[in-house]
Amino acid sequence: MSAVTQVAPVGARLRLPKVPPLTALAGVFLVVVAACALFPGFAPQDPAAINAAESLQGPSGAHPLGTDQLGRDTLSRLVAGARTSLLGPLVLGLGVTAISTVLAVAAGWFGGRTDAVISRIIDFFYSVPALLVAIVVAGVTGGGFGITLVVLIVFGLPMHVRNLRAAVMERAHLPFMEAAVTLGLPTWRVVLTHLVPTIVPNVVAVFFVTFTYGVVELSSLSFLGLGVPPGAPDWGRMVADNRAAVFTDVWAVAAPAVAIVLLAVSANLIGEHVQRTHEQSRKER
Amino acid sequence: MTVATAPQGSARRALAPGLLRYVVVRVVSAVCVMFAVSIVVFLFIHAAPGGPEHAIGGELATEEQLESIRQRYGFDRPLPEQYLQFLGGILHGDFGESIIQKTPVATLIGETVKVTLPLLAFTWILAMGAGLALGILTASRPGSRLDRFSLGMTTLGASTPAFVVGTFLAWLFGVQLGWFPALGAGEGGLDTVRHLVLPAATAAIVLLAVTTRITRVRVGQILEEDQATFARARGLGRWWTLKHVVLRNAGVQLVTLSGSVVVSLFTGLILVERVFNLPGIGSLMVDAIHDRDMPVIQGVTFCVALLVVTVNLVVDLVCMAIDPRLRARLETNR
Repeated sequence: MSAVTQVAPVGARLRLPKVPPLTALAGVFLVVVAACALFPGFAPQDPAAINAAESLQGPSGAHPLGTDQLGRDTLSRLVAGARTSLLGPLVLGLGVTAISTVLAVAAGWFGGRTDAVISRIIDFFYSVPALLVAIVVAGVTGGGFGITLVVLIVFGLPMHVRNLRAAVMERAHLPFMEAAVTLGLPTWRVVLTHLVPTIVPNVVAVFFVTFTYGVVELSSLSFLGLGVPPGAPDWGRMVADNRAAVFTDVWAVAAPAVAIVLLAVSANLIGEHVQRTHEQSRKER
Repeated sequence: MTVATAPQGSARRALAPGLLRYVVVRVVSAVCVMFAVSIVVFLFIHAAPGGPEHAIGGELATEEQLESIRQRYGFDRPLPEQYLQFLGGILHGDFGESIIQKTPVATLIGETVKVTLPLLAFTWILAMGAGLALGILTASRPGSRLDRFSLGMTTLGASTPAFVVGTFLAWLFGVQLGWFPALGAGEGGLDTVRHLVLPAATAAIVLLAVTTRITRVRVGQILEEDQATFARARGLGRWWTLKHVVLRNAGVQLVTLSGSVVVSLFTGLILVERVFNLPGIGSLMVDAIHDRDMPVIQGVTFCVALLVVTVNLVVDLVCMAIDPRLRARLETNR
């Protein structure tokens, strides 16, 4: 960090704006979830241990968040479920971000026929709801986490390719860009070292937006019983399995539901923060 | 879709050649898309693990059963011939027979649509009405408390899955307060309406985030344009400006929005029907997936695709009908 400060004072100014407390809390929550995903050993009890005698109990000393219908410890299942609940949106976010950046740069920078082909395909996919296709594909192929992710990535692309393409086209005619082309730099160098760095904030924003959608869509699929295999401790699945508990003891449903919303809201808040700081720094320049 | 802020083109009475070509191209391409969809849907049964015989007979079917299935459904004939038969069925509204329930798929869809359609209409009115009202209100008072509150709510709304909202509403208003029934579709009449309140509210709340934000952004843009300032300078009232400046200009975006609301509602309703145990088309689909009931999956997919394509087509044509600037561009771009 300090090296960066010395070399690029402008970059240092980017990091200076104070982080709002809510955004800081969101960051802390993401770190906690990431820690749970990396070290499932944090779970105080065996997340799969069934104890019918203790089903649907409220919070107690032994079970801080109560138990589910099969008497499994809710807190332990939350910790164990952090992995799939985080990994899915993460893969989705990275996949969409990487592919949409490549497509957007290709369409926006090279223009012409490349742009026409990419834009037509994107237009076609635009009006198709991703989650619906994921549900149908799961129904036809018998499901599976991998294929669901692929569908959500492909159908999650259009909006972001469009936005990033617009950003690329906006930057493509800036003076330093034209200077680089005039100097005769090879295309890959102009694109990688001059063009791509200017759209990094947009790309980061795409990641956080898709991550949020990933949390919402993947947990929705788990809730429908598609995606993660049965029995796996996944947050969406936990809500579905304990749905009947809203009539008796609400903790087994509320805990995973709140965890899902917190995860999505946290990613959303951080994404918006990144965008805001970027806009501010652009105005200052 | 962007709208040029070019000078208003004169409205053309007769169907201009550019417009006619646009309408024909849009309708033809919609029909082509539906043909493509029918091919994909037809191939579903062949893409199923274990092949089409197992998809119908189940994994434990004996060789004789498989053989009789092959003959009955014609899986031993060449693919194009099978497809033509499938297409012929679809054109007559025949999607085959459910494997589990042994009833025609068309009948099942007809029954479930009776539950889904009122819910869809109810939700659409709620989401569009409230979204428009909130969007216009917040756009005319940017930075107000209501504006900041609705911005926070849209962030929350975009991050909350429909099934979480539904479970929460079912718990709060269904179980804790007991105002509305939390499960089931009701016995008809007023009872059905009471049963639809919570499901419709759930789907509408999730969509409200989108409808409010889009309305807010577009109306805000228009209110900053010279024509809005000029209307205000002429001393014209708030309602006049809203009707003649804001709604006329935002029409295209709002129509597009209302179309995409219908499309995304279909996904939302699958979740909502699950939460509230409603026997609608979404529940039919999810049950069919779990039972691996392929003809039902095919039928529902085709019907939903038909709806999506039709809505998109209607939206495009309505946009052309209400905005003379788009029509004028068609003529100049030729």
